Amino acid sequence: MIWIGDTLVSPGEPGVYGERVLAGHRVWDPYRSKLAALYHLGKGVEITGSTRVLYLGAAHGTTVSHVADYAEVVYAVEIAPRPMQDLLEVAGRRGNIIPIMDDARHPEGYAAAVEEVDLVFQDVASPEQAEIALRNRVFLATGGHLILVVKTRAIDTTARPEEVEAGVGDAIRPSYSILGSTWLLPYHRDHVAFVCKK
Amino acid sequence: MRSFWFGDVDGHGCTKAEGDLEALASRLSGIRTNPDEIVPPRWEQAVECGAVRDRKEYLNKLRKICIRVARDRVAAGFRGKDTELIQMVMLLEGMDQAINQIGERAADWYRILHPVETWKYRTPDSRRLLAGIGKDADGPLKEALDGILALRGVRTRLAREIAVRSAEVLPNCSALVGGLVAARLVALAGGLPRLARLPASSIQVLGAKGALFSHLTRGTPPPKHGIIFQHKRVHNAPGDARGRVARALAGRLAIAARIDEYRGAPDPGFLEESDRMIESAGGRR
Repeated sequence: MIWIGDTLVSPGEPGVYGERVLAGHRVWDPYRSKLAALYHLGKGVEITGSTRVLYLGAAHGTTVSHVADYAEVVYAVEIAPRPMQDLLEVAGRRGNIIPIMDDARHPEGYAAAVEEVDLVFQDVASPEQAEIALRNRVFLATGGHLILVVKTRAIDTTARPEEVEAGVGDAIRPSYSILGSTWLLPYHRDHVAFVCKK
Repeated sequence: MRSFWFGDVDGHGCTKAEGDLEALASRLSGIRTNPDEIVPPRWEQAVECGAVRDRKEYLNKLRKICIRVARDRVAAGFRGKDTELIQMVMLLEGMDQAINQIGERAADWYRILHPVETWKYRTPDSRRLLAGIGKDADGPLKEALDGILALRGVRTRLAREIAVRSAEVLPNCSALVGGLVAARLVALAGGLPRLARLPASSIQVLGAKGALFSHLTRGTPPPKHGIIFQHKRVHNAPGDARGRVARALAGRLAIAARIDEYRGAPDPGFLEESDRMIESAGGRR
């Protein structure tokens, strides 16, 4: 990861979404990106030029573009048509983003295209966030990492976020070894990130 | 045999997938792997297969095919007959907000220029009021007021157009609650396919998000109705029957949405029966 002072940046062609540019590098804003927030909190997983990434919940391709600046290849899964339009624009200009318009809850739809990866990053707002992480485990190489960002409000609005966190932890513990969980405060409210290893 | 984007692999070897970009894209789009038997492809397999020369070509080719698949799916997603209706409803809501906001601002400005003007003990029709102000205002204020009046005209025509389209796309829902409310329900649900899969209890409170969540988190009384309150049968019903009418109407709407989604034609028998049921719940026509 490249830091300029206290600022996280990524190398790459700027101007994707009007991000600031610092010394020729694109500023990666922790208030906009949950992954950037995790790096700012010191709990992220290093991405290098040989890292293969499966990105679930790619949305408009904002964070994806930064990940692609570091990684060898990013398989970006997104189901909704409107964000996919933006993601396609980003993928068209970057040779290492492979956009996949499919449902992360059903990996059988994209199993014929996605190879084994070193990092699964999951940021989807769905009540089934833990199940999605389990179902996509097949794509992760042994020793690879899963970063699971849980939007606790999407699972249960009435429960306390800490209870939701515990529930997700219990659900994925049999399949992944959990290295830690981090609340993304002060950057994002009610979001917790699990960093796990297969 | 396992099917991958570049070909089919079995115990004996690999059969390369043939065809141009379009053919490869539609082939990939159609592959569904058994969820319990997912084995990710390896790029070396594709080389053995003769589909690509090296990893660079593997990624390039796969990327092109996936972009093509995604483009086709985006286009298909926008082809649904309800997508345009949803955008029309969104535009209508945006216009309502703009008209109210700009109208109020302009009226406040006018009142500074005319301090004696008061609207107490008068119930002026807002359209006539704005037109009245417009007569003795000038400059940007007048232009703003003219703009609002023009926007109001567009709004009326848009609402009419929504009702017409809605009657085509959602014949049964529109017959039950009117085109505009039916279209709003579809917009809130996020599309007709989604509305058709919602339980009646959800349809009943669509559009009452604030009340519903304060009920769930803070235990306030549950909302009786969401957007369907806008239909006259609900808001004209006497207070003690309103919840019952909303429940009956939502129940029939859930069925109507399914008929609209899966059959797409009006069902007079169903509509008649619905009328009777809603009436017996206390909702007069």
